[in-house]
Amino acid sequence: METENILELQKLTKAFGDLVAVDNVDFELQAGEIHAILGENGAGKSTLMNLIYGLHQPSDGNIRIFGESKIFKSPRDAITSGIGMVHQHFMLIENLTVAENIALTVAKFSSKDGKTASIESDTESPPEENGIPSKLSTFRYKKNDAIRLTEALSQKFGLAVDPSVLVRTLSVGLKQRVEILKALAVDARILILDEPTAVLSPQEVTGFFKILRALQADNRSIIFISHKMKEVLEISDRITVLRHGKKVYHGKTGELSAPGLAREMLGEELSEVERKENKATTDLVLNVSGLTVPGSRNENAVLDVSIQTYRGEIVGIAGVDGNGQRELAEAIMGLRPITSGAVEILGRQPSGTKNIRKCGVGYIPEDRRTMGIITSFSIADNLMLNIAHFEHLAKRGVISQKAKNRAATQLINTYDIRPSSANIPAFALSGGNQQKIVLAREISPQPELLIAVNPTRGLDINAAQYVHQNLFAQRDQKKSVLLISTELDEVLQMSDRLYVMSRGKLIEATAHRDNIEALGLLMTGETDPDV
Amino acid sequence: MFNFSALFRKTISISLSVRKIILPFFLWILAPVLILTSAFITNGIIIFLFGYNPIEAYAAAIGITFGSVSAISETLVKSTPFLMTGLSVAIAFRCGMWNIGAEGQFLIGVLAATWFGTKIAILFPNTSWIAVPLCLSFAILAGGIWGIIPAILKVTRGVNEVISTIMLNYIAIHFVSLMIDGGPLQETSKTGPQSDPIAEWVFLPRLFEAHRIHLGTGLAVILAIVLTFVLFRTTFGYQLRAVGEGAAAAEAAGISISQNTLRVFFISGALAGLGGAIEIMALVPHRLTENFSPDYGYTAIAVALLAKLHPLMTVATALLFGALAKGSFAMEAEVGISRQVTLMMQAIILLFVIGASAVNFFRKYNRQQKL
Repeated sequence: METENILELQKLTKAFGDLVAVDNVDFELQAGEIHAILGENGAGKSTLMNLIYGLHQPSDGNIRIFGESKIFKSPRDAITSGIGMVHQHFMLIENLTVAENIALTVAKFSSKDGKTASIESDTESPPEENGIPSKLSTFRYKKNDAIRLTEALSQKFGLAVDPSVLVRTLSVGLKQRVEILKALAVDARILILDEPTAVLSPQEVTGFFKILRALQADNRSIIFISHKMKEVLEISDRITVLRHGKKVYHGKTGELSAPGLAREMLGEELSEVERKENKATTDLVLNVSGLTVPGSRNENAVLDVSIQTYRGEIVGIAGVDGNGQRELAEAIMGLRPITSGAVEILGRQPSGTKNIRKCGVGYIPEDRRTMGIITSFSIADNLMLNIAHFEHLAKRGVISQKAKNRAATQLINTYDIRPSSANIPAFALSGGNQQKIVLAREISPQPELLIAVNPTRGLDINAAQYVHQNLFAQRDQKKSVLLISTELDEVLQMSDRLYVMSRGKLIEATAHRDNIEALGLLMTGETDPDV
Repeated sequence: MFNFSALFRKTISISLSVRKIILPFFLWILAPVLILTSAFITNGIIIFLFGYNPIEAYAAAIGITFGSVSAISETLVKSTPFLMTGLSVAIAFRCGMWNIGAEGQFLIGVLAATWFGTKIAILFPNTSWIAVPLCLSFAILAGGIWGIIPAILKVTRGVNEVISTIMLNYIAIHFVSLMIDGGPLQETSKTGPQSDPIAEWVFLPRLFEAHRIHLGTGLAVILAIVLTFVLFRTTFGYQLRAVGEGAAAAEAAGISISQNTLRVFFISGALAGLGGAIEIMALVPHRLTENFSPDYGYTAIAVALLAKLHPLMTVATALLFGALAKGSFAMEAEVGISRQVTLMMQAIILLFVIGASAVNFFRKYNRQQKL
């Protein structure tokens, strides 16, 4: 492998007012290297990447790319220099097809030779290299060219995706593929991946790592941002650890073990959450019978699902993203029409989300930014966004500001939401802290039934542990929890009973909990894992 | 010995106070002054280019808008319909409901007041204390019912409220024409397309005997305060805002979208309808004519948006629109500047104000990016 540094950061510093988000960081990236950046939420990982990607300009220090000192005024500059970024929150146009999204990037930015694609290619078929058309028209969109380009790209890098479907109908995992394809379509030599595995199932992660290896073999460099130690140890060549904006560790992967890295990340030792004895009762809390729910494409997203949860247990549903978990949760919450079947909560059949909420149901939705919080609302306003709460805080319809602020301050402190001022709008918070708002609001009132969909997605280790402790506490207080998560480890660690959801169907899998292989088969749609 | 560290600390604290106190003060107090000044300078140049004396024109405009107690009273009277319709639009937009129907709701309010004032009020003569509140309630109800039609269509059939409210405006405008041009509300002499004046005991009282400023203006300002309280301090307002700013999250929280749609459209229509009733009950000639509303309901959209949909800010923007309308009139009447030029000048002032709020928006946006 070459040892040429294609990207160097020298004493890079970025301050926002009094806050120094990135503090004097040195960093180098070699060609064909996967370089992991580890750090807790708020450690400065994203800011550092935004500096490289031209979204922010450094307050001090130097960025050298291919040996040249450069200042990127915008992502456009970074992209033309061969840097591609896949954000944690995707930057796709939902109402366009995959091919159109990719064509848009290609048309906007340069082709391989660094020049803008020419108009002439309109009339003749574009020149091809490895079966990849290198040019698309800047001015006229040719559907077939775009589809061909997309297909060629996905074939070359093994990223299968249907070019002619609308992006909004894709699962999160597939959207991520489109994002990577977008970067590859403009021939990015350096790929920045911000928490790429946060949205993937274990099986998908394995596939995703294969893709990364393929890109590495193509001599592309990857900056892999994560706070999941296991994955970082598996995929990376070198590791840089950030803490409070400073580089605290840098070395080859394997030099430091997982606990050592965790210590660098957190500055302290970790404690494992202990799994206590199951104290499940026979008191039925949630009784779903024969539930069929239509999905967004009018298919049956949930098909004849029956599931019961009892007081004092956590029931886990594992599965690859986009197999009906979201629809199931929304149908239970009364947010989605039901074709057939029934949902019973504590022996009643409440109609409408309002009544379901008032039965004492907490809900942590999959999509926190649109369903969990209102970004323009303050932290305090978001912390009471549940009809059962804000009616409680009010007397004859007038909300008591005192009660509201007291409740908010208390939750902000217990859940360590930062920044900790109740009146700051939620859009100013990092993803992890936004998630903490949802968790604080939904878990703290100790609901009879808690439906949690991917509750720890995007959280750092400490926060995730805190959530797990709270879920266990719910269980120990004889409440019921339905945990739907794409992170198999989480479901295995937390649940008393285990199901797998695949293509809208639910399969009881408690018996297979120690057999990862069997679970994997169930997740991919096999109905009988013993065959 | 000279204490360097103390000096250092002092310098830092001064620079901090510049950033935290003086700069915001500048932005929030001085910026609007600067913006209006530059708008007036630009307009001055335009007046000059069209061959008039800017000083003379401005003197006329300022004289007629704020020059005397009675001028101020007149400006407030002129601003009242802008405020009422502006509040109507602001509350609907806050809930994410694009109610373009304030014009129609305003007219239906006028119509209801006219009908009450010319027909029903006759049944109990000389009873202001009952006739006035009854007439106002009548208009509120009529405007609210007219306003709730697009909400029902939206909730039950998914009809886009922009289309239905615009269509209902046309219906309202032509329905009013029909009623006063050959219809049952035409004046008894049947000479022109207008109604009889409403009964004297349905007139809204003035606040001061010598000036035209009336109870309706006071009512509108009180409503602006009440609506601010409702929006930001009650569960009802909280739900409205939640639906407007994050419908999916509101729904997941158990807030009913359709219930709030119906509520907010009723309130929005009621406010516009009340605004219409106030106009006819407070101002001479107290009769419903064709073109009774010079597009109040449409201008209201600008009034509300300029106020960033805040009811209290709407008081200020309505006043700006009222003053602009009056000032333009003065320049036309006293200096002879043509209507086209004064309309252009109004637009320039609005552009400056909108431009300034866009600057603030970007400041906020940048902050969002940073954190």
